[in-house]
Amino acid sequence: MNIVTRMYRGETRFDFIAISRKTLIVSAVFVVASFLMMVVKPFNLSIDFTGGVIITVENTSDATVESIRSELRTVGYGDARVQITGDDIVQVQTEALDAEGQDALTFAVANAVGADVNDLNEKAVGPTFGAEVTRKAIQALVVFLIVVAIFITWRFEWRMALAALAALFHDLVIAAGIYALIGFVVTPSTIIAVLTILGYSLYDTVVVFDKVNENIFEDDTKTTYDQIVNQSLNQVLMRSINTSLTSLLPVGSLLLVGFLAIGAETLKEFALALFIGIAVGTYSSIFVAAPLLARWKSREPDWARRQARADKRSGASDDRDAAKSAGSTSKPRGSKSQKDEEKSTASKTAAMPPSDVPKTVARPPKQRRKRR
Amino acid sequence: MTPKKAWITLILTLAIAWGSLAAMLAVGWAPKLGLDLQGGFAVTLVAPDGTDESTLNTAADIMRRRIENLGGVQEPEVAVVSGPGGEASIIVQLPGVDDRERALQAVGTTGELSFRAVLAETTESLVFLNPEGEHPEGTDETTGLATEDDVNKPAYLAGQDDLLVYAVDGIVVDTPVGTTVVFPTGRDITDATAQFSSQGLGGQWVVVPEFTDEGGEKFREATGYLANFPPGSPQRQLAIVVDGVVFSAPAVADTVSPDEGLDPDAVIITVGTAENSEDEAKSLAAILRYGALPTTFERESVYSVSATLGADSLRAGLIAGLVGLVLVAIYMLVYYRSMGIISIVGLTVFGSFLLGSLILLGETQGTTLTLAGVTGIIVSIGITSDSYIVYFERIKEEFRHGRSLTSAITHGFSGAYRTILTGDTVTFLGAVLLFMLATGQVKGFALTLGLATVIDVFVAYFYTRPAAFLMGRGPLGQGGLFSVRGAMGGGEIIEVKEPVEVSS
Repeated sequence: MNIVTRMYRGETRFDFIAISRKTLIVSAVFVVASFLMMVVKPFNLSIDFTGGVIITVENTSDATVESIRSELRTVGYGDARVQITGDDIVQVQTEALDAEGQDALTFAVANAVGADVNDLNEKAVGPTFGAEVTRKAIQALVVFLIVVAIFITWRFEWRMALAALAALFHDLVIAAGIYALIGFVVTPSTIIAVLTILGYSLYDTVVVFDKVNENIFEDDTKTTYDQIVNQSLNQVLMRSINTSLTSLLPVGSLLLVGFLAIGAETLKEFALALFIGIAVGTYSSIFVAAPLLARWKSREPDWARRQARADKRSGASDDRDAAKSAGSTSKPRGSKSQKDEEKSTASKTAAMPPSDVPKTVARPPKQRRKRR
Repeated sequence: MTPKKAWITLILTLAIAWGSLAAMLAVGWAPKLGLDLQGGFAVTLVAPDGTDESTLNTAADIMRRRIENLGGVQEPEVAVVSGPGGEASIIVQLPGVDDRERALQAVGTTGELSFRAVLAETTESLVFLNPEGEHPEGTDETTGLATEDDVNKPAYLAGQDDLLVYAVDGIVVDTPVGTTVVFPTGRDITDATAQFSSQGLGGQWVVVPEFTDEGGEKFREATGYLANFPPGSPQRQLAIVVDGVVFSAPAVADTVSPDEGLDPDAVIITVGTAENSEDEAKSLAAILRYGALPTTFERESVYSVSATLGADSLRAGLIAGLVGLVLVAIYMLVYYRSMGIISIVGLTVFGSFLLGSLILLGETQGTTLTLAGVTGIIVSIGITSDSYIVYFERIKEEFRHGRSLTSAITHGFSGAYRTILTGDTVTFLGAVLLFMLATGQVKGFALTLGLATVIDVFVAYFYTRPAAFLMGRGPLGQGGLFSVRGAMGGGEIIEVKEPVEVSS
């Protein structure tokens, strides 16, 4: 049976935990790189944050950048940034001005392009206002994270909350890093998009954790936490992929329309952040949140004991072989088995009565999953 | 659940969803568009530190009144908000306003209240000349006669170039000629209240102003001066002028003698007994109290969108939404076969509820749909699609574990619903927080997102559950590639024994 059919039937047996050490390292590298990127190449903040005036207007009279600039010079704004885009839209940007300055600029621009002053699109933001918008956004973000942490702790447990927040952090930083890299203008729409990303990422993670919890509830006492997480990830894999796709389809069309249509600037800014975010968010719930959770939970005494027992059961078989055929959930440990082997040997001799040696091969997951 | 119950629930839900939206559209309700979608003008004004709320509210009232005077503004929104940093500010939003200058003037200038003597009442065009003896705009160059019969404009009477004359509603006012009488201004009034007086036949609405000591003296002198004119003469009127516009011109009572004038401590301005007298009295009181804006505002931000850009944005948003919907529909059909039909119809149910709520909020709360709101809707397509995916994947899983198709559909729901509920709760929490904490367009986004999660939970229970239940039993349940069974990836349960290689 090929892999596509398997995925369609929800019968995949990927060992996500086995490769989690590698994926976590990759994620860590990306996070660090994103931080560096933000330092090296700071965000291109829109005037909503920095304060300033932006005027855009359709160029109705073949005005050139020079002709506009000379017109602006007459009112003392010769140093304004003047651009004419491909679809003949004139954009004039200055620092924050007082009310009189704004009006003078507005009329000068209207004059320069021969447009009625009322056909101008204008945005003027004072400098203090912009700083407050930023502060407010950060405040909203912090409160959001705290509330979400409380909710997940209440609904599941605190380790899950911690893992979910770690994944969120990962998504945020990487999305921010990509933004810094591309040099896209960061606007309030971007902030909205980022907050949406958080929502998506969390939702995804919550769905995985929900499954983990359910499987713990249903499973017998022999399954290790790694196995449960793995099994859960396989079960929700198609949901994750499908949900990402159905979310990306509208966002993708938003992005497309944003690039094709004029007047869709906001849409474009929004869609790009979303597109990056949803993709990273889906990845992180599978490759960051779940493995982190598995790592933390496996250290708890109860689960560590189970792990030790499971290791002992399969300990006889060739370790290297096992790492390769990690797809089977009957083989719980992958790349990090070496280190854990030592740990579990220690706890085994201490805590485990020798009589507790089960069958050498764990039951296939199918059987275990059957309802009683 | 029995099939009968399922049918009833399903039909009821569909009827409510589609019916209510159709009804709203039929009576001509539509979502109110924000100014970024229909063009318009927004300005944020920040008051000095320590301005109290009542002052702000008054200022907002005055601005609102001035904007109404502009005419042509569909739904001006003047809101007192605490700015992002807690500073007192007023946000003025004028969708559809295409006169930038006048709009700015209406909200920007502090304006002035003054009392003036009435020179004459006239319906004729006046001869206008400004203090420099030039003909101002709107007058004929040679005759000096007004070319536009616009008596609302401040005007100057020819030949008396040291005198400002206002002509409004046929009332010509002036500072009195040849006297030393100083008329009071807004600064001379400390308070004014609208009251219902039981005097007169059946009582009437009156306004009672209070003056400063100095103002009271001015008022006494002014009314004394006006009392020189015979009762019934237009010149016996005292005009209340705000920003060059005569707001009202009550006549000085016949009993007032020229020597004494009116006692400032016993002044009442009668408004009348007509139905709108109460409103009139209250607005006159407000004018007297704060004819001018009670404080000066700093213009903090201006945002103006031309009507063409607004229309372009709206079109772009709609196209993106439609294309996205169609793509999602195709994907769901291909992947989930006949169950995809459930999700497609479900999207229309979801959309009807969402649109209906937005229309309702627009009609009752004046909530506008902005571009951020539209993006919220597009994002919510993903949210609601996910609920179907969670459920359908759940059905597949239950089926693979040996349940019958109908049993998998029924049992799958309870598990899936718990997941949907948890996920939607997280998103809802986020939306509520955003709505409370954020400002401006983020709020509009949070609103649609929050609504979407609530509607999603509702639709899953009252639509998806009965629809899936019935489909499992119906002709699309068991047979063929397109059936629900077909979406399970074949009819038999296959035990997977060999492990799958994974490349890392």
